[in-house]
Amino acid sequence: MTDLHWLTATEIAAAYASRELSPVEAVKASLDRISAHDSRINAFLKVDGEAAIAAARTAEKEIRAGRVRGPLHGVPVGIKDIIDMAGECTTCHSRILLDRVAREDAPVIGRLRAAGAIVLGKLALHEFAIGGPSFDLPFPPARNPWNADHHPGGSSSGSAAALAAGFLPLALGTDTGGSVRHPAGACGVIGLKPTYGLVSRRGVFPLSFTLDHVGPMARSVRDIASALDVIAGHDAGDPGSAAGTHGDYGADIERGARGLRIGYVRHFHTTDAAADPEVGAALDEVARVLGTEGANVRDVTLPRLQELSGVQRVIMQAESWAIHDRWLRERPGDYGRTTRIRIAAGAFLSAADYVHAQQHRTRMIAAVDDVFRDVDVLLVANSLDPACRIDDAEAIARTFPRQARAPFNVTGHPALSMMSGLSAQGLPLSVQFVGRFHDERTLLRVGAAYERASGWHTKRAPGYA
Amino acid sequence: MMQGKTHPSATTEVMLRARAAGLDLAASRFPEDIAAAAEEAARARDDMPAIEDVAAEPWPPMCVRGAP
Repeated sequence: MTDLHWLTATEIAAAYASRELSPVEAVKASLDRISAHDSRINAFLKVDGEAAIAAARTAEKEIRAGRVRGPLHGVPVGIKDIIDMAGECTTCHSRILLDRVAREDAPVIGRLRAAGAIVLGKLALHEFAIGGPSFDLPFPPARNPWNADHHPGGSSSGSAAALAAGFLPLALGTDTGGSVRHPAGACGVIGLKPTYGLVSRRGVFPLSFTLDHVGPMARSVRDIASALDVIAGHDAGDPGSAAGTHGDYGADIERGARGLRIGYVRHFHTTDAAADPEVGAALDEVARVLGTEGANVRDVTLPRLQELSGVQRVIMQAESWAIHDRWLRERPGDYGRTTRIRIAAGAFLSAADYVHAQQHRTRMIAAVDDVFRDVDVLLVANSLDPACRIDDAEAIARTFPRQARAPFNVTGHPALSMMSGLSAQGLPLSVQFVGRFHDERTLLRVGAAYERASGWHTKRAPGYA
Repeated sequence: MMQGKTHPSATTEVMLRARAAGLDLAASRFPEDIAAAAEEAARARDDMPAIEDVAAEPWPPMCVRGAP
């Protein structure tokens, strides 16, 4: 088969069914491509080729015998190295946990393995999902395949870079303030932060208990739906796990946007904060395209971006400080500088600050829910700037808070980010769609309609075609 | 964040608060980082609006909703 590395998970499954491709061939092709190109972008912290090929052989036998477990059977996946896999180190890209070996698979990994997915290895991230991109860590930062001199977004940097480089069709990330959606947008792929509690967080090293989410990343909306079908579900061992799930998240993907009501949160990137003009123009174009697809697009108003963002940062700083305080007291030099600063911030907050943030949160959830009485999906900015250079610490510090993702970690609504254009510098621009609680079906319906109408998902990073 | 810049605030009050939080080692080895952390916390706090109803219920801290 040609262009094997750009096949989606859905296409790979179809090729297995028609015997045009086997899991061993697919996994070997992925491993070869990683071996040839990963030194340019550092997406992987560890590749376990031997285990992957062994798993591919098993999948091949099962599929050939007609025992197909589902659409991810035999599909290569990558895992952000903050999620436990039995017998493997979960380093969180940090010196602090270099030798921490996980005793068991996180439930989300167990679900992927039960569905027959083949784990290729562990992917790079920002240290503890908060500090990066950094050059003072035990591993180099992942880079953006569209331009290796540029930031790939984070914290799930390796997951997005691996997808954009054609190393694999599916990866897992985690998202506390936008860590799935930021790199997905910066690297021109797709990332979903599901409804809070839809995917188990057990076995995932926490950054902030009440903001953390696990989400799938892929190159097609259909693959996001297939992955969510597998990883979503109640986990009695996770106190933040939601009871009951819909499943069949791709059921409405072919229905198009006609008749849907889209609320455009324009004030986030016009009056609350001024987006880069290219970002703003691309968002207006998304609204126009969805309008031509038959959606009714209207402006809506949420609480101010700055207020939502402030609440998210207070909660994240307080909760992450509670997790890291002992290590920061005893081993401050073992953290990268960015992580040290961002987590130590929590030491300067009071108990009242944290409680006030949670009080605001309750009000903000109600405000977003109120807007959803009149619309089905929100159209929101993702990053307010194209990706800056990875070695420009000042630009990284300046652009880090210029984003509209964190509000939906505060409220827990599901949010999908995807490519919305290319900047003059040839870097991906992105949009974010946000849905009602547990209405990932409609969210993915809108994403798929935009994907088909825009065609951005067919663009490839130069040098990786 | 103001990485790489000198923080005049890396002095008395911030350092006292850092030490009160047990960050003596960090404060002595990385005073600029500790000052930057204090600024980050202040910015986040300042971005939050004032609380209008002090009796507003904050519990549970995150609402986990079951699928409809």
